[in-house]
Amino acid sequence: MSNNKMKIGEISKPRFEFRTFGRDFSEAAFIMSRLSVPVPEKVWERSSTETYIVSKTNDVNNTKIRDGKMDIKTFVQSVDGLEQWNPLMKGEFPIKAEVLEKEVFPAFMVDMPKLDKAEYTLEEFMEMVKANDNLKAVTVEKERFGYMVNDTICEVANVYINGAMVVSINSESTELEDIKKTISQINLEGVENINYLQAIKRIIGMTDKKLAN
Amino acid sequence: MVSAVIPRYEFRIFGNNLDKIESRIQELSEKEMTRKMDSIYLLSPYRRRNNIKIRAGVMDIKLLEQTHKGLEQWNPLLVGEFPMKADIIKSTVFPALGVESPVFERKEYSLHQFIDEVVTVDPDLSVAYVWKTRHSYTINGCISEIAEIKINGASIKTICIEAEDPTKVMEVKLLLGISDDLENVNYPLALKRIMGLNSLPDNWNKIDF
Repeated sequence: MSNNKMKIGEISKPRFEFRTFGRDFSEAAFIMSRLSVPVPEKVWERSSTETYIVSKTNDVNNTKIRDGKMDIKTFVQSVDGLEQWNPLMKGEFPIKAEVLEKEVFPAFMVDMPKLDKAEYTLEEFMEMVKANDNLKAVTVEKERFGYMVNDTICEVANVYINGAMVVSINSESTELEDIKKTISQINLEGVENINYLQAIKRIIGMTDKKLAN
Repeated sequence: MVSAVIPRYEFRIFGNNLDKIESRIQELSEKEMTRKMDSIYLLSPYRRRNNIKIRAGVMDIKLLEQTHKGLEQWNPLLVGEFPMKADIIKSTVFPALGVESPVFERKEYSLHQFIDEVVTVDPDLSVAYVWKTRHSYTINGCISEIAEIKINGASIKTICIEAEDPTKVMEVKLLLGISDDLENVNYPLALKRIMGLNSLPDNWNKIDF
C-alpha cells in the first residue's frame, strides 16, 4: 500500500479512478463495506441532483451542473484501465458569453450557437442545449455511500438517470496499485471501467453498448 | 398484413417507489402469471401518438386513438415479422415514427439489418432495449400489472390498469388510491423522458413520473 495516504475531502494530486455501472453489485458492495476503515459521518450517505450535458460528438469532456455551478472535467489518460480526469473549468450561472464561446461549447465539440448577449442564465443556457441535436441534458440523482479501502476513496451509489436506476461502484486514488488491490478484493477484476459520461450515453441510447451487468 | 383487435383504455405510471400501490394490488388480487420478455422500442422526438415495438422478431404499432378522463385508448396494429419488406417499412413504420423515410438499399430487412442499417444511422431515431418482468393480476375485471423493467440496463417499475370499459379502470384507480392528478405515462413517453428525447415534467422527482 502506498505511503501517500488519501484523505476524504482533502485536495490531492490527480486521482485515477475505477468506476463501473450495472444493475447489481451487492456482493462487491458488501465486501467493500466490510473492508472499509471507518469514514467521516458526512460521507456515510450523501444525496445530490445534477444535470449532465452529454454530447454525441465528445467522449473526453464531462460536464455537469449542480446548484447553478458548472464543472467540466477532461479525460487525461488511462493507465492499466484506470482513468485520470482533471478539472477543465468551473463556472457559475449567469455565465459570460466569452466563457461559453471559449471553454464550454468547445468542450462539447459541437457548432457554436449564435451568442448575442453578454451573459446567460442557466435557463437560457439549457435552451441552447435543447436546441442542439447533438446535446442532451440529463437529470442525474445520486444516493452515495462512502467507504475507504486500501487508502482509496470508495463509494457505492444508486444513480437515477432521468428516473431509471443503476448502481455504480468505484475506487479512486492517486495510487494505481491501491485501486487495483481494491478491485481485486471486491472481485471486480476484469469488469469494464465505465465512467459517468459513458454510462449515461449507454442508458439514453446515445451509445449502443451494455453496462457491466 | 395489418389486423386490429379491440382497443383498451389504459392508465400507467412509472417510478422507483410504487410500494404502496403494489401492496394494494396484492391485497386485492392473487398474482396470476409472471412473464419475462424483451422488446425493442423505436423512438423519435416528433410523435406522441404511436408506440412502436419489436418483440420476438415481430413489430407492432399501437396508435393512441383517444384520451378519456385521463385514460388512453390504444389500438394495436400488427405490422409483421422480420425479415420485413422495405415497402412496409416505408409505408407503415416511418410514417408512424413521424420521420422522413430513407432510400432503402434492400428489398427486405432482417431485424439486425433494420436496426443497424436503417435505425441507428438515422439521427432522428433512437432505440431502447427494454427487458420486462411482468406480474399479472385482475382487479374489478381490469387487467392489472406490476412490472420491473430495465431500459438500456437501468431499472424502473411500472404499474398498469387496462380494460375495454374506461369506467372499470377509473374504479380500480380509486381502489388503489391513485389520485386524479397523478400523470398517466405511457411507454413511449417514459422511454423518451429517460432517454432525454422529451423533457422531464416540471414537478419531476424520482418517485413518480
